Amino acid sequence: MRTELRGNTTSISLQNPSLFNDPENSLSGELKGCLGSLDGACIEKLLLHCASALEHNDGTLAQQVMWVLNNVASLVGDPNQRLTSWFLRALISRASKVCPAAMDFDGSGTIRRRQMSVTELAVYVDLIPWHRFGFCASNSAILKAIEGYSKVHILDFSITHCMQWPTLIDALAKRPEGPPSLRITVPSCRPPVPPFLNVSCEEVGLRLSNFAKFKDVPFEFNVIDDPACFASPESIPQESSHEFHFESLMNHLTPSMLNLRDDEALVINCQNWLRYLSNIDQKGNVVQDSSSLRDAFLRTVKFLNPCILVVVDEDSDLSAPSLSSRITTCFNYLWIPFDALETFLPKDSSQRVEYESDIGHKIENIISFEGLQRIERLESGIEVAQRMKNAGFSSVPFCEDTIGEVRSLLEEHASGWGMKKEADHMLVLTWKGHNSVFATAWVPSDLQD
Amino acid sequence: MPVDLDNSSTASGEASVSSSGNQPPPPPHQPPSKSTATAKKKRNLPGMPDPEAEVIALSPKTLLATNRFVCEICNKGFQRDQNLQLHRRGHNLPWKLRQRSSKDVKKRVYVCPEPSCVHHDPTRALGDLTGIKKHFCRKHGEKKWKCDKCSKKYAVQSDWKAHSKICGTREYKCDCGTLFSRRDSFITHRAFCDALAEESARAQPHTPNPNPKPIQESDPKVQVESSPPPAPLPPPVAPDFGSDQGQAPPGLAQSNGMISSPVLAIQSPVLHKEKLNFPCLFDKCLIFMSPFLLIIFSLLHYAELPDNPPQFIEEAPAPAPSPTPATVTAGFNGSFGSGTSSSSNGSSTSSVFASLFASSTASGNLQAPQTPAFTDLIHAMAHPDHPTDLTPSSIEPISLCLSTNQGSSIFGTAGQERRQYAPPPQPAMSATALLQKAAQMGAAATNASLLRGLGIVSSSSSSAQPDNMQWGQRQMEPENSSVTAGLGLGLPCDGGSGLKELMMGTPSVFGPKHATLDFLGLGMAAGGSPSGGLSALITSIGGGLDVAAAAAAASFGGGEFSGKDMRRS
Repeated sequence: MRTELRGNTTSISLQNPSLFNDPENSLSGELKGCLGSLDGACIEKLLLHCASALEHNDGTLAQQVMWVLNNVASLVGDPNQRLTSWFLRALISRASKVCPAAMDFDGSGTIRRRQMSVTELAVYVDLIPWHRFGFCASNSAILKAIEGYSKVHILDFSITHCMQWPTLIDALAKRPEGPPSLRITVPSCRPPVPPFLNVSCEEVGLRLSNFAKFKDVPFEFNVIDDPACFASPESIPQESSHEFHFESLMNHLTPSMLNLRDDEALVINCQNWLRYLSNIDQKGNVVQDSSSLRDAFLRTVKFLNPCILVVVDEDSDLSAPSLSSRITTCFNYLWIPFDALETFLPKDSSQRVEYESDIGHKIENIISFEGLQRIERLESGIEVAQRMKNAGFSSVPFCEDTIGEVRSLLEEHASGWGMKKEADHMLVLTWKGHNSVFATAWVPSDLQD
Repeated sequence: MPVDLDNSSTASGEASVSSSGNQPPPPPHQPPSKSTATAKKKRNLPGMPDPEAEVIALSPKTLLATNRFVCEICNKGFQRDQNLQLHRRGHNLPWKLRQRSSKDVKKRVYVCPEPSCVHHDPTRALGDLTGIKKHFCRKHGEKKWKCDKCSKKYAVQSDWKAHSKICGTREYKCDCGTLFSRRDSFITHRAFCDALAEESARAQPHTPNPNPKPIQESDPKVQVESSPPPAPLPPPVAPDFGSDQGQAPPGLAQSNGMISSPVLAIQSPVLHKEKLNFPCLFDKCLIFMSPFLLIIFSLLHYAELPDNPPQFIEEAPAPAPSPTPATVTAGFNGSFGSGTSSSSNGSSTSSVFASLFASSTASGNLQAPQTPAFTDLIHAMAHPDHPTDLTPSSIEPISLCLSTNQGSSIFGTAGQERRQYAPPPQPAMSATALLQKAAQMGAAATNASLLRGLGIVSSSSSSAQPDNMQWGQRQMEPENSSVTAGLGLGLPCDGGSGLKELMMGTPSVFGPKHATLDFLGLGMAAGGSPSGGLSALITSIGGGLDVAAAAAAASFGGGEFSGKDMRRS
């Protein structure tokens, strides 16, 4: 955005003004524009300078910038400061990979293993409507799609450990014609990203079953039997095992292995999931054809003939090959949840710090890892939509009831949150007008008459 | 709240000209003509503003004004543009003047006039006028509206109304006693709540009531959606289930649902607990590792966010280091995973970083102004439960002596009494000063080479240079100008006179032999600088660092950087 920087009305006295004219010092020279104001734009520039310095092996400059950023960063400050501290951390992590030998550690990267209980996770997903938006839109679309069916099978690919389903079970219980019987299947492995749970997915399934029974909904819970996921975590390096698991998972997505039944409505739920499927080819270029795992996954699930496929994810393109572009986009996108948290939770709220730390985990993966280890490869809603269409899906609109439900959800959450409709019947959650999360629903193209 | 499509422009006269008090200068081109509404919302990249959008900065007076639309003929004010237009018709204007001049509608975004606000930054501008008005009121305005039933206060009347509608109207109570105001959170919680599991286990002998009727309690407002009377809370059953290898616990065996868990159980993610033995690590690695990198290393390994103690294997609290943050070496212990065990006092954290960065000024600076430091980051990671203690931490970040000025200057002159919460910990110095200092560090002549700073530490000189030091490669020779050990790795000489000079008169608690190291730091200004902030101390790293006199000296000539307005938008 090109605007004139509003000039500072205060005078700035420099001790040694000549220093800023020092040609040798690239830092001061390039950052003159930031004089007097360490706002988001300036921080972003600093981050970019640091990244560039790392890429050019300029240790001095990198350290200088880190020093400055260090003075800005604070985990309990305002959103800019908090964001900065996570970004700085990620940059340092990246820097540490520059000279790993001197560091004498196993390079396994940061391990953040805060685990929550199921009830804590239930609170977590409702701190801000970030997740609930997707849950609400998806569940509503699913309800509509399975009208008339007495058996439903949901293939759940998500990172929130089935937090989505209680409200669906509750809604199914209230169906006028009586609840259908419900079967939920989850993959046995899950991307190694927060939020982490302190119990197994079987336990989660148990609780869900319990709840379904309580609501008188016939229920079944399955975990895809994938021996690859039981490989000892130590035998495979943390990050590359991820890819390995997904490829193995694909082999299990067949009608027979999933035990698909003819009279069942098959629902496929992809929530914050597609981004973890690799969208690059061997050379690291983004592709939209058979060579990427992401597309292969889409084709595989299409073959299962679902009656609806819902895709929910964050609306930003964070998978660019260029580090600076990722830093910029990431910084300008992730301020959104930070700002939302700032609005609703006090500065010293531990829940807030934890939520932000999980975002920090994501930042670190995006900034400090490359290749297979960079598992966060988020695409924007538009790009995902294109990919879906390429894979042979057509979008279906959300009905008015759904939109009304989402709207009232957002109204309950107070101001700042909004919603808009975009191309391909996409619903987008907005915070202060900025796109945060998108939700879409698809059916295989040949199903549509 | 959908984005408001009200694109009515502001009354130009008011907006561009009036700047009260210490407001930023008027916005760039404020077109005198009004444009028609209904600009089509162009879809931008998330978070990325439209580069062509016009940024409009209105003054607070304008934003708060209720009658923004002023008739140019009679100066009557209106709240809405439509009303103004209706009124203008009454003046019998010639046709041309009556119409608004049409021009290409340019997307407008609005920034908040409050300098310290995040929306002051054009890249965080809000897309609609109503939004920015509401934001300004909410965030920086006085909360004039108070809810009758609860104590919540609101600055915007519509917020207050919206809240009053729902306040106390509906509450959902789980068997475990938790209250929810929203049904979906209640349902989600209920599904996973231990209370339900327990109750279901006990409910097996008799048919449970699947659809509980709301129990009318004495308080008619509260609808209790729970089944049969809550039982005493059982201990959490989760741990049991976790180990059950997929077998349903007895109570749930007859559950309606069938849990089919194939073959092997999935273990919960294994908690990796760092079992580093720190002192040993130090001995081994320090000689070849710069403090900077060492800290990176430590940072990354200590990066767990400790959760409740049960999640971490060791129940026994780690031995808390002595309260004086300065006593360093003792602070190292392998089980920093149990960081939560230590008291929340920042100075007694068991994190190694407390030790690393413990300032020697124990009491005096404990209440130092909140200068965010990298150490805070580390501490916060170690103690997510006690972030409030970070800022008063005794950890002294590397900073110039601006900490003293920090508090007041940020919020500038009076009239900005709109803080609704305590000021966030701000950087201790203005951006200018920071950059200048960083620049100085780059330019300052020092004795030490970066390479030495990078930890090719030997008492003799920078002779040992590992070839795998990629950073080091470029600065093989000690350079006088651009290379600074001062910045990163000022490694003042071991205990000697250099240290004392650098220490600015603060009593070194470490004894003379300890090498003082700065993290990203600046061996502090010898001489003149009235430094409140001290360089961080890294204590005797096993004596391994016997550095030659890299008297880091970025001597910060006269470092009187006053904390000019830290404009943190």
